[in-house]
Amino acid sequence: MSSKPKEDEAKKDPREAVDRSCCGPVLFLAFSAVAWLLVYSFFALLAGVKVHASGMMADSAWLAYGRIQPASLLALQFGFLVQLGLAVSAWILSHRGKTVLVDGGYLVFGGLLWNAGVTLGFIGILNGNSSGLEGLPMPGEVLPLLFFGFVLVGLSLVQTNNRRTDEEMSPAQWFLFAATLWLPWVLAGSYLLIHFFNAKGVVANIVDWWFIHNFVKVYLTFVGLGTLFHFLPAMTGRALAGRGFAQFGFWVLLLFGSMGGVGPGAPVPAWLSALSTVTAVFYFFGVIAVWVSLKRTINGVTAADSSDSLAYNLMRLAAVIFVTVSALNVFFAFPGPGSVAEFTIYGPAKELLFSLGFVGVTLIAALYHVFPRLAGIDFSPRMTRIQNAAIILGVLGATLPAALGGLMSGDAVLGSGFYFASVGQLLLFVGSLVLFVNLLGAVFFAMKNCGCLSSICCGIKKKEAGT
Amino acid sequence: MTIGLSFLCGLLASSVSYFMLGLWWPVALLVGGFAWLAFGLLDVKMNSTFTLLGGMLLIFCVSLSAMVLRANDQLSGLQFANTQDEEGTEFRYPVPLLGQARYGEKIYKASGCVACHTQQVTHESVELDVKAMAGEKNHAAAQEAVSRFYRSTGRKTSGGAALGLPVGEWETIETGLNPADASKARNFLAAAGASVDVQVRFRGEDLMQNEHSNPEGRGWGRRRSVAQDYLFAEPPMLGSVRIGPDLANVGARHTRDALMRILLNPRIIRKDSKMPQHRFLFEEADEGEQGRHIIQDGDKAYKPTADAEALVDYLLSLKGANYPLPEAPVNQPFTSSLPDPAPAPAEEAAKTTQPVEADK
Ligand code: HEC
Repeated sequence: MSSKPKEDEAKKDPREAVDRSCCGPVLFLAFSAVAWLLVYSFFALLAGVKVHASGMMADSAWLAYGRIQPASLLALQFGFLVQLGLAVSAWILSHRGKTVLVDGGYLVFGGLLWNAGVTLGFIGILNGNSSGLEGLPMPGEVLPLLFFGFVLVGLSLVQTNNRRTDEEMSPAQWFLFAATLWLPWVLAGSYLLIHFFNAKGVVANIVDWWFIHNFVKVYLTFVGLGTLFHFLPAMTGRALAGRGFAQFGFWVLLLFGSMGGVGPGAPVPAWLSALSTVTAVFYFFGVIAVWVSLKRTINGVTAADSSDSLAYNLMRLAAVIFVTVSALNVFFAFPGPGSVAEFTIYGPAKELLFSLGFVGVTLIAALYHVFPRLAGIDFSPRMTRIQNAAIILGVLGATLPAALGGLMSGDAVLGSGFYFASVGQLLLFVGSLVLFVNLLGAVFFAMKNCGCLSSICCGIKKKEAGT
Repeated sequence: MTIGLSFLCGLLASSVSYFMLGLWWPVALLVGGFAWLAFGLLDVKMNSTFTLLGGMLLIFCVSLSAMVLRANDQLSGLQFANTQDEEGTEFRYPVPLLGQARYGEKIYKASGCVACHTQQVTHESVELDVKAMAGEKNHAAAQEAVSRFYRSTGRKTSGGAALGLPVGEWETIETGLNPADASKARNFLAAAGASVDVQVRFRGEDLMQNEHSNPEGRGWGRRRSVAQDYLFAEPPMLGSVRIGPDLANVGARHTRDALMRILLNPRIIRKDSKMPQHRFLFEEADEGEQGRHIIQDGDKAYKPTADAEALVDYLLSLKGANYPLPEAPVNQPFTSSLPDPAPAPAEEAAKTTQPVEADK
């Protein structure tokens, strides 16, 4: 992490070369991800407030609750989680493989396409061109754009993984590799079935549920777990315990995470709901296996390097949230409890807890570890403390009361949980704002000090102009 | 075991289960996938991209075919069905969206009403009441059938039937049966030559309120929603969260004027309503303008735009959970005034649509 990288130095320390190859592309993705987090938290806050003040901004079709709510979720899932996931995956795959990131240009170009797709989808929803589905609310036309953007990024990641120095792949690599391939498959499948073959009637919804289930239970879970599988052993300096458990977990999560997601009373053939219950139960076995492996790795140890202790603790929290939400999922997968929770705000609250509390927190923690190594400069410690407190309290505040309130008051009743959720959303907004400013500032300073970043960024600019 | 060998084992397992055991093909694929994993997991070195890719591709195909394509096979043949409205007039169901309603559906989609409103009515359980009538000739056999029914279901004999079936009069055998027991009762009694009559009742918070059989009902539909209801929806906006009521049957609940007011400002109708105002669907009326379409909200007068009219057309067309279908009957009272009571097809249908419920 010297300010003036030299070729011969790089040869001495391969990590330096790896970091240098990652620097531009990874920071580009991470930066746009954090920007989308800010967009998400702003619109989610606005949506919550609009429910309390029903007459507010009622003259603007663009700001109708039914538009900003799905748009904000799009920003969260496709803007923030997927992009930061890709950024972290790129870094982990090249570090684990001890190889430079191959074709970082693809990654940047794919990232640009992806951002364009998310932006168009976001504007499309606000503009009233939503597809009416829940998992893929963006207008159908932007899906090919997203697909190609992701595939370009994926090309770079897969090639990097293929060039790894060790023949044997570690669990972190399995999970991230599988996630990188899985999302384009389900995205393409859903696009073709819904928009190209024009699935009729509820078949469109079934495809949509299939997509949601795959996106959350396979893609997001695998990105989060892959990151944990890399960092928890790496930070504690221990080898991963229970590789067999991880392997079992991998296949079980993949098999049973790829089917299901149909609610108990849905107006579709009853076997779909039954199948969803069955897969949810088996899925939990995979969760237990993964948990055993991670638990045995980190049991009773702290981060080896004190500068990592923040990221390490955040990841442990995320792992706890993962297991908690998974346990809740099995319980509510049974028709009895399931029909109590169905249609209440428990559902979205739990999804948010999972995607932000588990995946989001894991990835942000990974960013804390990765960023100083890439940019050569650390985040401002005071702002980091503020943003962590705000984000964690925000996530818990926006989800726990709402989930509990939803379960207690049932559907079609807005209990006070919804009011508390808005306080959480406000904290979340503050947290992501601080995070954004923090990242912006750090990148700004890094550009000044670190030759590598500015040279690569200029390189990107040239490429952008060329393409 | 190497990856190739375990794959062969998987292949073998799935062909055996498909060709020899005659399992349904997605299940056979699953079995094969399991066998592959099981054998492979014994000693797979997950070092090659090939292992990963092969496994992932297989699982992807299983998932796509077992969940999506199979559902598509089953549902793509849905056709019109015959039903009748409250007055008993028969018609073909579902009715395609007429006039401006199709455009209204687009407005509904664009405004994201689905974020707060579902369009799916669910039910929790089916209950059946069984009555029987025996003639003089078959009285003994019918009496025997009744006791056989009580014995085989382990129910306590109760009511008049326990004292003995009167000749030539309807007598309640049992109430609150599940579909399996009801069909047992019907079979036993019919075999003994008695006339049988069955009443079907649905329970569920979403359904119509009934003091006896469904006291918690919120009146969102006369029956549960089924796939047939969405034949013409583009796409069906089923929704997953209810911040407001279910709208599958809203057209049967509200008038045009009420719906307009709910859209403009629901607090005109209910003081503490949480439904957001959709003023962007309205424009301010001119000074002296008069007419039924003018809505007074506070000190301002509004009139609906073409979008609002179309949206309300669409809402009025939503009567999905109102008309009985073979797979989703509505409550059916006893028809015992008829000389020859019809057997109840409803219970079979209820069984096939909701086996999970029926088992409870
Ligand atoms: C923020 C969530 C929200 C959105 C978005 C929303 N609604 Fe509602 N809606 C409600 C709530 C809450 C109620 C219950 C109102 C009450 O208690 O008076 C309701 C009630 C209704 C009713 C009356 C239903 C009945 O059975 O009495 C209709 C009709 C309706 N909404 C239509 C719509 C339409 C059409 C849209 C889209 C333009 C829409 N709503 C968007 C929350 C919402």
